Amino acid sequence: MTAEPLLEVRHLTKLFGSVIALDDVSAKVYRGEVTCLLGDNGAGKSTLIKILSGVFPPTDGEYLFEGKPCHFRSPREARALGIATVYQDLSLLPLMPVWRNFFLGAEPEKGTALLRRFDVATAKRIVRDELAKMGITVHDLDQPVGTMSGGERQSLAIARAVYFGAKVLILDEPTAALGVKQAGMVLRYVAQAKARNLGVIFISHNPQHAYTVGDRFVILKRGRVLGSWTKQELSLAEMIYCMSGADELETLSAELDQIARGNGPQAATRAA
Amino acid sequence: MATETIARAHDADARVVRTGVVRRLFRRVEVGAFIGAVVVWVFFALVAPANWLTITGVSRILDSASTLGIMAVAVALLMIGGEFDLSAGVLTGTCGLIAGMLATQLGLSIWPAMAVSLVFALAVGYFNGWMVVNTRLPSFIVTLATFFILRGANVGVTRLVTQRVLVSNIDQVAGFMDARNLFDLEFSLLGAQFRTSTIWWIVIAFIATWVLQRTRYGNWIFAVGGDAVAARNVGVPADRVKIALFMTTSVAAWLVGMMSIVRLRSAVASEGIGQEFVYIIAVVTGGCLLTGGYGSVIGACIGALIFGMARVGIVFAGWDTDWFYSFLGIMLLVAVLVNNYTRRRAEAVGIAAARARTEEEGQ
Amino acid sequence: MSRIGKTMSALIALAVIFSVVGCVSAPAPAEPAVQKPSAPQVVQAKLTFGMAVHANPAEDLFWGVVEKGARDAAATYGITLKSGGSGQPKEQAQLIEDYVAAKVDGIFVSLANPDALKDAVKKATDAGIPVITINSGASVYKQFGALTHVGQTERVAGQGAGEQFNQAGAKKVLCVIHEEANIGLEERCDGLKDSLKGEVVRFNVATTGVKDVKGTTAAIQDKLTADKTIDGILALNPVVGIAARDAVKAAQGSQKVATFDLSTDVLDAIAAGELMFAVDQQQYLQGYLPVVLLYLYKTNLNTVGGGLPVLTGPGIVDKSNAATVKDLAKKGTR
Repeated sequence: MTAEPLLEVRHLTKLFGSVIALDDVSAKVYRGEVTCLLGDNGAGKSTLIKILSGVFPPTDGEYLFEGKPCHFRSPREARALGIATVYQDLSLLPLMPVWRNFFLGAEPEKGTALLRRFDVATAKRIVRDELAKMGITVHDLDQPVGTMSGGERQSLAIARAVYFGAKVLILDEPTAALGVKQAGMVLRYVAQAKARNLGVIFISHNPQHAYTVGDRFVILKRGRVLGSWTKQELSLAEMIYCMSGADELETLSAELDQIARGNGPQAATRAA
Repeated sequence: MATETIARAHDADARVVRTGVVRRLFRRVEVGAFIGAVVVWVFFALVAPANWLTITGVSRILDSASTLGIMAVAVALLMIGGEFDLSAGVLTGTCGLIAGMLATQLGLSIWPAMAVSLVFALAVGYFNGWMVVNTRLPSFIVTLATFFILRGANVGVTRLVTQRVLVSNIDQVAGFMDARNLFDLEFSLLGAQFRTSTIWWIVIAFIATWVLQRTRYGNWIFAVGGDAVAARNVGVPADRVKIALFMTTSVAAWLVGMMSIVRLRSAVASEGIGQEFVYIIAVVTGGCLLTGGYGSVIGACIGALIFGMARVGIVFAGWDTDWFYSFLGIMLLVAVLVNNYTRRRAEAVGIAAARARTEEEGQ
Repeated sequence: MSRIGKTMSALIALAVIFSVVGCVSAPAPAEPAVQKPSAPQVVQAKLTFGMAVHANPAEDLFWGVVEKGARDAAATYGITLKSGGSGQPKEQAQLIEDYVAAKVDGIFVSLANPDALKDAVKKATDAGIPVITINSGASVYKQFGALTHVGQTERVAGQGAGEQFNQAGAKKVLCVIHEEANIGLEERCDGLKDSLKGEVVRFNVATTGVKDVKGTTAAIQDKLTADKTIDGILALNPVVGIAARDAVKAAQGSQKVATFDLSTDVLDAIAAGELMFAVDQQQYLQGYLPVVLLYLYKTNLNTVGGGLPVLTGPGIVDKSNAATVKDLAKKGTR
């Protein structure tokens, strides 16, 4: 195990008005490892990744990258340091060609002064090469991204992040809404990113996908860390149990029993 | 096993994603407008060949299309960037009135008057952009408000200052002829009279195309129009891009306003009202999506050209100009339908690929 | 003179031939509503005239009548007429240049904004195309090299209306502007100001105008309620004239209402004593006469007026002559 974490947050808190979105969250991400961030809807996953990627600052707590504290004012600053986020919507523009999407926000330029321009030839060559490295062949780089399959788009987004010198790759539900085969494709690229010694943060609420690629698991619940484990410390079954929320599951099974016996859920609640 | 899966998926790609030359051509944004322009041109060539098929005929079309074309270029960039500007038309009038009144009433030379007018235009553009970006109100609403404010002020201020709804005698102002030579000089070419406004148009269209297609700003314009949030997420300064686009539109309005006053030697308070929709028609005819993120400057120019052809063609053909607007409506509808069709054909490639994959997954 | 006599006799001969043959396609001279002649009744070279005015005649009541006059004359003389117009001076100028490019044989234009049309008109005269100015432009037509001017300035018409209000003893007259930034309308109000021995209140109802007559009526009514001292209203359009009458009724006022231009409604209202008078510019003539004058110039080098403009107004239609004008207004020629 690497001694120093690549990215670490300590006691993060985020308030939206009077709503506590995150409460005392601490976590660590290491190089060459996939850290899975798990939790139900509303657990605070998206708030956490937005803080990590610099969309907004935490209300309180520390954010360390490579051991140094960070205070990002924009996603651009985070990205400049090597923290790349692939959002659920991928930040890809469906109507724009593949190569334009790939370099969006970081276009290679040539020429000086008034003639500074987008180096289209270089851009296209790099996109072709990078996609090939990830095992994707696109015949027509002018093809609008909207015409690619979901898995291809995910892969494109990951390839983009990797190319732009990401040290940490934050993947927001990359396998949601994908078929089995497409999800498999994406998980393979996640493994490739890890093999390139990136620290990967993999957000999911699919325990199977997470457990397949994950090395370390952080489970969030209602804005708090429920617990964090390495893969050795936790079996898939245990993880599913923790994720669904142990107590809630017990309540639920009690309720189901009640229903089976012909009583309403109110009775179950009273019993609890 | 995983390797095999991926390899097979790529075979599927190789099978379907093969883009022919025709398909590539059809993917051009401008193709619908281009076909439309050819149809309109051929049509009037058959109906009124005597005047239509002459250099003078060409010069008339260009005169009619040039100032509209300049606005269409700017409005196209703005629309690709996902926004509208309903105040652009009336602002051409405002800019002309400001320059005209400052020059005739305060006795300034035409140049400082024009400079002040430009500053005003930039301020209006900045205001529009700032409001849209900061209030998150639709630009339709924000610029509609600006439109009404300017529309009222055009009449109100002009009447206050000149007691009329007209600023006249601008040609008596110092520097007028220089300004006229710069903005709207007539010159002979191949035996017909052309105007510098046409050259301005061509140069501006060229620069705008270059910026849109070949610079990072162009990439950002497409991105903020396609999905401003996604663009922001990858670090595009979306707000700045949008404000810059509004200001570009205002500068274009200023330029057209200056062309108008030097040509007409006067400025009227009603100048430009209603033109904002003509700009939008030209731009949409040219293949820009109303929803943003897609379009081309060349297409918008072709849209303006079609408009110019229609206006001149109807006169040459000796038709009842009563029907001009109906013609315009039909033209718009046809252009949009053709654009839709060509876009779907272009995307059919990708859709087929996606379908092939889905079927494979289903097996 | 003899030539005109010849053409007249040729015309009569043609008419006789057509009526004998029973050909239905020829427009009879008595029915000038036909827009395009299938056969010229006057034997001459093919002529094309262009009309360019400062409003779209298709959308403007006043200019629609002008255009009708031009069409009727064109039909009578076998002339091809191109007509159009725009409130945007640039488009009006471009239209004139389009006519020059199309090498028409004569052009008549309204000079509401002379500065704006100076260059375009010069192009026409440089190209040897005779130009006649109509409606506005009496003061500059000579300087522009036009053959003559047909019509009268809006300002003179406004002054005519002022005289009538003076006779009726009005002291505070509302001048209702129904279109923003329309130079002609402003000049009518300016003319009223010139001659009225009292106060003129300019009242802008452009937001509703003739597109929302109900709104215009309400606005005038509110104005009358707000200012009880108003004792006269001058509307600048027949539709607005009727709206003003309705507003007076609704406000239970006794203001004297007058309007510019005619419609059957206006004539009925004049006959009923609800409207005091209507200023009639006989704009039909502003379309009809230029065609005839250009025709005579092209075929016979005739000029009319002896260096003075040909005036078509202001005519005042009041209770004394409303009934006789009404039949003509129905045909769209008054």
